[in-house]
Amino acid sequence: MKSPLLENERFVQIAAPVFVGVVFLLLWEAVVRATDTPVYILPGPVEIGKAFVEDWGVLFHSLLMTLKVTLMAFIISVVLGTAASLLFVQSRWIEVSLFPYAVLMQVTPIVAIAPLIIIWVDDTTWALTVCAVIIAIFPIISNTTLGLRSVDPNLLSMFRMYRTGRMQQLIRLRIPSALPYFFGGMRISTGLALIGAVVAEFVAGTGGTQAGLAYLILQSGYNLNIPRMFAALGLITLTGITLFAMMVWLSDRVLRNWHESALKVEH
Amino acid sequence: MTQVKAIRPEVVAAGQDPDTTGPSPGNSRAGRPIVDVHGVDKVYNNGTVALKDVELTVKEGEFVSLLGPSGCGKSTLLRLMAGLGDVTRGEVKWWEQGYDVVGQKGRKLAFVFQNATLMPWARVRKNVRLPLDLNKEKGPETEQRIDQALEMVGLNKFGDAYPRELSGGMQMRVSIARAMVTEPNLLLMDEPFGALDEMTRNKLNDDLLRLWKANGWTVVFVTHSVYEAVYLSNRVVVMAARPGRVIEEVPIEAPYPRGQDFRVSTEFAGYCRRVSEALEVASRQGEEASS
Repeated sequence: MKSPLLENERFVQIAAPVFVGVVFLLLWEAVVRATDTPVYILPGPVEIGKAFVEDWGVLFHSLLMTLKVTLMAFIISVVLGTAASLLFVQSRWIEVSLFPYAVLMQVTPIVAIAPLIIIWVDDTTWALTVCAVIIAIFPIISNTTLGLRSVDPNLLSMFRMYRTGRMQQLIRLRIPSALPYFFGGMRISTGLALIGAVVAEFVAGTGGTQAGLAYLILQSGYNLNIPRMFAALGLITLTGITLFAMMVWLSDRVLRNWHESALKVEH
Repeated sequence: MTQVKAIRPEVVAAGQDPDTTGPSPGNSRAGRPIVDVHGVDKVYNNGTVALKDVELTVKEGEFVSLLGPSGCGKSTLLRLMAGLGDVTRGEVKWWEQGYDVVGQKGRKLAFVFQNATLMPWARVRKNVRLPLDLNKEKGPETEQRIDQALEMVGLNKFGDAYPRELSGGMQMRVSIARAMVTEPNLLLMDEPFGALDEMTRNKLNDDLLRLWKANGWTVVFVTHSVYEAVYLSNRVVVMAARPGRVIEEVPIEAPYPRGQDFRVSTEFAGYCRRVSEALEVASRQGEEASS
């Protein structure tokens, strides 16, 4: 016999991964206790939970800092990346001349450029943001450019038959066609913005009131405060998941009426 | 042996000055050439000869089908008639003039593509409205035309639906409504019903004939179905491949309205046989050319 709850797609989608998580945490706690592992090597979930509650003030402050850099970098990436894509589709020449540099920016490890940027940009928050933008902007550029080019050729012929200008073509045809690609780029970009923010902070090692989650991890490492390290790590992961989920939600909302990605098929 | 070697109508537009020889309104409208393809070659940049020395005149009120094996250039020819792409040699005239006159009152052209070609992100109504939007036509009168067009194709209840919520046949009807809304004089259709099942196709064929008569269109219809071509047309233009060219024109003299009776008549079967024979000759010539 099947319970009606297990037939509910939504319930299963949430319950199944939660169940796996709980089992994992229980096992973890059990192993830590059974082997008597010291807290400074591997704390159990209970110790980490305690750190969460006790250090919440510090953790939350750092979270806000990291979140600030991440969101700024993400927004700048979306705006600049979209602008670059719109520029690229204006002419083959512009795209051919500039696209290799976008790739160049993408393949250069951020860790290697970060020290330079930190020297050049005085304000730490901005320095971190620039680093994060450098890696978060690429998926927006490449996806949106691809999308703006992926127009039904017959629809394009039709626009040509009505002697439509470039602007009308862009607004009525290219931009809507590009939306699914654009949202795909945003999903990847949020994650990269967060990674960029954290990596740049590791390199910068900014302390004081500007300290984000990465610095907190570094500092906790030096102090052998491993539970707090785990708590900070958990917060970074949680932030990434939340941002990703928000992007999925947004894209589903916008595309739900017409695009296959947001389509729910019944079999 | 085929007995039907139809004589091609004389090309009248050759040598005329496009700016000064517009037909005067007093002329007899019947038989006035709407599209005139004269000595046209089309060679693509990669060297493929898509069309070789094509002559074709479509007259007002006619329903002409272009039929041929794949690669015979029938779609290319249709696109040239729509002003999409340039001819390599020869010329195409619309209403005995240059492409500039297309779009003027009484000289409107609409194109219906293979696979409905709708905007998936827009509701049916907005899709139908597209040509009007592109021509910057607004106002209550245009709304009325959209309503009319939707009603003509039997989709007045589906204006708010998204294309993907409709069946293939319904999507095609949206596409036809989108063409109708501009009140075209010349309708060019590129294998519009090729992807549909036979029942839907027959239904849409009947719809199309009804609309053709009701609206006084001139239609050029590309198809690879002998039956469809014979059922619909005044004239079937048979083309061969490699290079794409017109090899025969078969007039279908059965009177309209044509219906189920015509579909099962011996007359219909006779025409189908003749067209099939011509098509076989076309395919053979294409194969010889490629071997």
